[in-house]
Amino acid sequence: MLLGPFLHQCDLQPDALALQEQDRWINYRQLLKHAHSIAAALQSCGVIPGQPVAIHLDRGIAAASALFGVLLAGACYVPLDLKNPPPRLSFIIADAHVQVVLGLGVAPAWLDESLWLDIANYAAAIPEPVEIAAESLAAILYTSGSTGQPRGVAISQRAITAFAAWAADLLALSPADRIASSAPFFFDLSTFDLYAVLGSGGSLHFVPAGLSMAPARLSAWLMAQNISGWYTVPSQLAFLGYKGNLAQTPLDALRFLVFAGEVFPTPALIALAASLPQTALYNFFGPTETNVCCYWPVERHRLIADQSIPIGLPAAGCELNVDANTGELLVRGPTLASGYWRDGCVQSFLNADGWYATGDHASLDQHEYRFHGRMGRMLKCSGYRVEPAEIESAVNAMPGVKVCAVIGIDDPTAGQRPALAVVLDAEMTIAEIRKLLSRQLPTYMQPSRYLILEDLPLLANGKMDYQRLRELCEA
Amino acid sequence: MKEKLKTFIFAELIYHEDPASFGDEDNLLDAGLDSMGIMRLIMFAEKEFGVTLPDTEIEPDNVGSLNKLENWIKRSGQA
Repeated sequence: MLLGPFLHQCDLQPDALALQEQDRWINYRQLLKHAHSIAAALQSCGVIPGQPVAIHLDRGIAAASALFGVLLAGACYVPLDLKNPPPRLSFIIADAHVQVVLGLGVAPAWLDESLWLDIANYAAAIPEPVEIAAESLAAILYTSGSTGQPRGVAISQRAITAFAAWAADLLALSPADRIASSAPFFFDLSTFDLYAVLGSGGSLHFVPAGLSMAPARLSAWLMAQNISGWYTVPSQLAFLGYKGNLAQTPLDALRFLVFAGEVFPTPALIALAASLPQTALYNFFGPTETNVCCYWPVERHRLIADQSIPIGLPAAGCELNVDANTGELLVRGPTLASGYWRDGCVQSFLNADGWYATGDHASLDQHEYRFHGRMGRMLKCSGYRVEPAEIESAVNAMPGVKVCAVIGIDDPTAGQRPALAVVLDAEMTIAEIRKLLSRQLPTYMQPSRYLILEDLPLLANGKMDYQRLRELCEA
Repeated sequence: MKEKLKTFIFAELIYHEDPASFGDEDNLLDAGLDSMGIMRLIMFAEKEFGVTLPDTEIEPDNVGSLNKLENWIKRSGQA
């Protein structure tokens, strides 16, 4: 189902360019052939429809072929962030109940070798056809969990299909489009590239990794590749607008830029909009649980430097509501994930009325929604979700730690960064905590500030006094 | 100049490394300096040292360590 539009394009235009990575490229026929062979290899390993299969590959041709192979076998993919330390990856593999890990070459040392399937090591084959129901799972995307461990968001074929069809229509995607792709496959942004673009017959061009650090070379690459659209994060576009040499690098082919994942600082958006007068700009909004639930086509004349931009209108057939008491944004609609993945089952996150409570503070202002930050403890660090509980549970498990608490402090580079306040035994040190944490959690989860306290500040009712903690950390 | 850069980087951009043990040749990108960090570092350096750092020279090679950064900014100031 999810791959339906892509398979249709394979019939219509098998020789059209599908994927390009550096100087390698493949057409639709070749991509389908790779995916078929991977699906057949998975079936011969005993993978059955609905079963999670992990992807141990960085974004690119091999990873995209592996994802499509998993879907053709009726299974669901679990893309791994290879920058995560091995203990976190091991947790995800176990939590997802993964029986097969697709990768290239030999298995990494931390992984049970019997799970590993080398995608370079199979023969061309056609898989057995499988029935795929709309509600069967397509992907489990892991984010930081408020329970103290990574948490999988289980997303159905139906949900991704609904988003991809809406986005393809909104942006009028066609076989003429050449779309840049930079989102890792464990981020929901990648569903646009894989399913909206390849379902419309366009081509995906993987942005070479080093270019995010070299904005002038990035714009030169966008020009040379005749890129017509790109869905990425605001920080990347802000850098492009600020130092991308755009005055000397006309991006005539660039029809649209879409951004999501962070708040785009309005002054940087104004600079970008001025440099690219012909390019339509879109703000997409939504947590992983909803993919995109809200969008705003940027109206240039309404950009005011000291005002944040709206998140806009309901997207993709979603219904939005703001809780009158709490101000929390509620969502229901076709793009919602099925639930959280727990013990091999999907656990719904909807309330009794079928709404998903996002934890985002929002308001409705003349038909447009506006975002006012997070309500709970969750942080957004460099575009990644970070649950303080996950850092706390790692630190609390260390010897010599009596108790700790993590809060977010505002940061102009990353949006927010975690800060750690901790009560220690005499022999434990901050240096030791740093060392141990770097082996367990990815870089974006590492605390930016450490504070040793005699006791954690508590409210009269015995709960943590986060307000006081913030004052101490910011002092 | 190098000390000013180092102070800014470890106060504003990279937190989880110990600045005292971070050498002038150590790799800033491996330590977690990302594209947004580089952008803020450039804004800081242009203002602080009164130079214009050319768009086309923003490369991992010029921002990869404290020594590389200092050399690049000094070169740009002479141009």
